[in-house]
Amino acid sequence: MKRKQSRKTILLLVPFFLMTVMFLVIPLAIMVKSSFTSETTGGFTFANYFEVLTNSFYSQSFLNSGLISGFSAIAGLILAIIVSYAMTNLPDKLQDKLTVYINLAANFAGVPLAFAFIILLGNSGVFTLFLERANLPLFGEFKLYSWQGLAITYLYFQIPLGILFIYPSLKKIKKEWKEAAYMLGASSVTYWRKVGLPNIMPSIAGTFIIMFANGMGTYETAYALTGSNINLVTIRIAALVSGDIYARPVIGSTLAVLFAAIMMAILALSQMLLKKVRRDLA
Amino acid sequence: MKAKKTHYTSYLILAIFGLYMLFPFVSTFFYATSTKWSNTMLPNDFTFKWFIQLIEDPNFAAAVIRSFALTFTSLAVVLVVMVPTVFLVYTSFPKVDQFMKGLVLMPYAIPGVILATGLLRMYSGTVIPMYLVLVGALFIGSLPFMYQGIRNSLESIQTKKLIEAAEILGATRLTSFIRIILPNIRLGLLITTLLIFSGFFGEFVLTNLLIGGRYETIRIYMLRRMNENGHLASSIMVAYFLLLIGISLVITYLTSPDRRGPKKSKRHQILGNRISIAESVSILKIGVKKEKRQRI
Repeated sequence: MKRKQSRKTILLLVPFFLMTVMFLVIPLAIMVKSSFTSETTGGFTFANYFEVLTNSFYSQSFLNSGLISGFSAIAGLILAIIVSYAMTNLPDKLQDKLTVYINLAANFAGVPLAFAFIILLGNSGVFTLFLERANLPLFGEFKLYSWQGLAITYLYFQIPLGILFIYPSLKKIKKEWKEAAYMLGASSVTYWRKVGLPNIMPSIAGTFIIMFANGMGTYETAYALTGSNINLVTIRIAALVSGDIYARPVIGSTLAVLFAAIMMAILALSQMLLKKVRRDLA
Repeated sequence: MKAKKTHYTSYLILAIFGLYMLFPFVSTFFYATSTKWSNTMLPNDFTFKWFIQLIEDPNFAAAVIRSFALTFTSLAVVLVVMVPTVFLVYTSFPKVDQFMKGLVLMPYAIPGVILATGLLRMYSGTVIPMYLVLVGALFIGSLPFMYQGIRNSLESIQTKKLIEAAEILGATRLTSFIRIILPNIRLGLLITTLLIFSGFFGEFVLTNLLIGGRYETIRIYMLRRMNENGHLASSIMVAYFLLLIGISLVITYLTSPDRRGPKKSKRHQILGNRISIAESVSILKIGVKKEKRQRI
């Protein structure tokens, strides 16, 4: 009887899978197909991949995106851990409220974020002009519409994102463990090395992957801040797909397929590694 | 003694972090309320004229209405499809549940730009209107949050036990879903919905790439005005963030433990969301174990 019911109710899952197929599976499949389609003849070809992989302009865009994402993920993660740890020392009520506002800050990305930084640190930004007038060379070399600007803005939304993931796992570390460790004669360093870190390591690694993926996928902030000046893979793809002058959707698709493949590989690999870590723990 | 010392450092760290986080907000606010602000530490004056100009611009009102329309349409689709699906999958199809856990991580591997590339290849120039495609894309983008949010709500009220009890008493699955489960997860759903609301309302990448200037939402309007008049653009951002702060206040209020005694467990739901989004990535294996245990 249960089986019969199962068969009937599974039909109710159709809308969900229909949506997923229509707006995720099919578009991805078409993207893959068009990446193997010749721009001129419309036949099957590897030429697009050949072009993308040999053109240093495109490989550079992957490298650039990887570097800025890697930097912002590592620096953001370290700062997120420090802030999360500080948060666990606050009164409980305050902690819960803070998480809601950190969620808000994590949403403060893209156009508004870029603009806020332009007001302050842009070429005619308030701070820039003020410091120029005051003859303070503090930010003399600083250029917002460059890597430095990207690093600052990326960090701004990466830290709250990191906190949202790291904080819950730090909360799970019990005070009793620390007490027990100290009672058995462990130093603070030993405690963190043997008990604390191994416990939060999986979620640190998971958070790093999410932050890295988040950085790689960032388009709006970079676009609003630097236009197309900086060669990032997302900006390249968007320009190739929707640009009016340089539109080459087939090459855009090829880059997008490579991007998705790399990200999926990273996610899958991290899952595998994490499972291994977990097994070691058990 | 030692605990006290840690406390001071903690507050110091949080204060510095808070300043860094508030810094752009505050500067945007001052920029929006000054006629001219350059080369002084603080703005010269305080004015609401940009806000007035903004309110008088019919394009702004239109953009807000468009953003709301898009947000509500997408939210309706997401809720109508996702709530019954997650409920069914959670209660009846543990294998599909495992599959979905992986599936909902896809938006991390396929960010907006990539998804838009595929969608444009597939649907641009077809009979399917791009507006619908955009709603579908937002649906996909909201999967991780929605799935985890609903699933946590279901988990926190011990849905499986409730359903079992209801079935012993002779209720059908549908009755127990509508009369028992839905009223119980209402608050959790509301919070998840509010979180996604702010995401949809401020959506830019998908909207810009899929529809662009033909459907000017608030973020696209913001970008256009940004190049014309900085002060005006700041006032848009202030208005936009007041709305988001309003939503956050509602969430804090809803999750506040003082609001109602017996609802206390709900307070953890929002934290629960976060925990399991992180866990879905890092501790999938434990999830598998838990599932197995529950099935036995």
